[in-house]
Amino acid sequence: MPTTEILDALKNDIVNLDFDLIVKDAKRAMDAGINPLRAITEGMAVGMQIVGEKFESGEYFLSELIVAGAVMKEGMEVINPHLAGERSQHLGKVVMAAVEGDHHDIGKHIVMILLIARGFEVIDLGTDVPTETIINAVIKNTPNVIGLSALLTVTMPKMREVIEALTKAGIRDKVKVIVGGTPVTSEYAKDIGADHRAANAVEGVKKCVEWMTQKSGE
Amino acid sequence: MQTFREKILAMLNGEIVESLPFFHWWRHSQIGWAERECRNRGMGICWSRPPHSTILHNVKQKVIHDPSKGPGLYRMIYSTPIGFVYQDEKREPGVGQWHGPRSWRDVSPWQITRLIKSVEDYDVVKYIVDHTEYQPYYFPIEQAKEWLGEDGLVIASLPHSPMQMLMIDWVGSEEGRFYIHHARYREKVEDLYESLVKSYSSMYEIAAHSPADVVMFGDNIDGVLVNPRLFKQYFMPIYEECADFLHEQGKLMAVHMDGRLNVLKDLIAQTSIDIIDAVHPPPMGDLAINNALSTWKKKVIWMGYPGSVYTLGPQAVKEHSLQLLRSVIPGNRLCIEMSTENLVSNENLLMLTAILENAKLPLTQRQINQIKQRLA
Repeated sequence: MPTTEILDALKNDIVNLDFDLIVKDAKRAMDAGINPLRAITEGMAVGMQIVGEKFESGEYFLSELIVAGAVMKEGMEVINPHLAGERSQHLGKVVMAAVEGDHHDIGKHIVMILLIARGFEVIDLGTDVPTETIINAVIKNTPNVIGLSALLTVTMPKMREVIEALTKAGIRDKVKVIVGGTPVTSEYAKDIGADHRAANAVEGVKKCVEWMTQKSGE
Repeated sequence: MQTFREKILAMLNGEIVESLPFFHWWRHSQIGWAERECRNRGMGICWSRPPHSTILHNVKQKVIHDPSKGPGLYRMIYSTPIGFVYQDEKREPGVGQWHGPRSWRDVSPWQITRLIKSVEDYDVVKYIVDHTEYQPYYFPIEQAKEWLGEDGLVIASLPHSPMQMLMIDWVGSEEGRFYIHHARYREKVEDLYESLVKSYSSMYEIAAHSPADVVMFGDNIDGVLVNPRLFKQYFMPIYEECADFLHEQGKLMAVHMDGRLNVLKDLIAQTSIDIIDAVHPPPMGDLAINNALSTWKKKVIWMGYPGSVYTLGPQAVKEHSLQLLRSVIPGNRLCIEMSTENLVSNENLLMLTAILENAKLPLTQRQINQIKQRLA
């Protein structure tokens, strides 16, 4: 099968949310000697991009977006061992966390799927993450962006705490802070000194892409 | 002058209501001078209590708390003849010490791990469902009705409807687990769903015969999580089945829908639900109340006041609520809940009461201007 057909199949497997075919096609791609990075960027990632567009247009819902992410993960498990020695080019690096006291995960998870699909490296710190852990992760990983999530009004103040801790650590100007979650308003984001409040996952990821594009254009 | 109970029931029955009903849920309410003052100025109080008791046959339950695993961590183990399942939860300080399972900060225990972690767990949970019996137990409702009298309404509470039970309780949405299970193990998911549907029928009948006027599914519907396809396939038939039981006995049916509802609004309009509870307008929800009222012409809306406005303080509450009142003139079919999510500070509670206590029906621009002037 020609390379373009296999790449096309990988793309379609993602769009069609096919757990079985993605594994077969990923194996076929590796057996055919297709560069693993190419299989990802010109195959599966293109599929994720289409899924993201369908999500944005309302044709696909959250469930499809998440399942597409899971399908891609299955494909990646086949391709990953072949990536040894390959150096992937990321658009940027994002540290993601639900702030301390907040165990909600789904919004953060959607953002992560979309960020990965857009070529970001994502470091997920999980949920209920203490401020200190976030600061240490920023110091260690030097991300371009931190994404903070809170779904409860009682946990929102932890976002302010993180931003203040970044300032105290002298690294606030080294990283963009984007906040999100149902109760988080633009006014609140401005008040606590965040760079942006994501109205939804798609919009938040667009903002991250915009920041990285501006950075590379500087 | 109508009592709070008369007002809220009159609104539900399509009769004349003197002023916009507003109330606090007991589970989110402080007790004290501000709460007393607000109640003296017209704020009702509502209580949600189950109409049934639950018996698990052939299922042993054990709760383990090992402080060395971390503060507030509890493991619930359910053992059956075909295997066991467990879930871990994290309880903040205060759980069990005041409002039911809520902490001092009014946060429910977090499920750290879910009952269904892998496909093998479905059969065990199905066994539990198949061996669950519901029996009428009306004492909690009768007791609360006696305590509240004309000050409030007692609602018979039902658990999450079957698919919501799977989605947000037993399987959970962390890392999208429910959707992935629904895509990969559809047969298992639907098999368990069908068991729950069958098991729940007796509960609807019990609720229909309870002394409560209103029965509520605490469903926490959010259109982003429960998309229209899922809602149509797994939720609407359940609501219809339950509504049939309830309406036959003259009860009204409410469903707690506190998320983003815009994508579901037309489907919701097609249901036999009488009360859409906890509707959150922007900035938390995505459906303005006037839009919801015009879409759901045969339903009453109990609006959950958005917590994100409370975080901005009493002045923001004042501006938001005056704007809200203007948007819903003449104010029919609407009741305001001070919060359906968390505690409200005394200052915010007093500010919202100061506005709503003067919201006589039908609302007019002139009257709202007068409320504004009075607060200037």
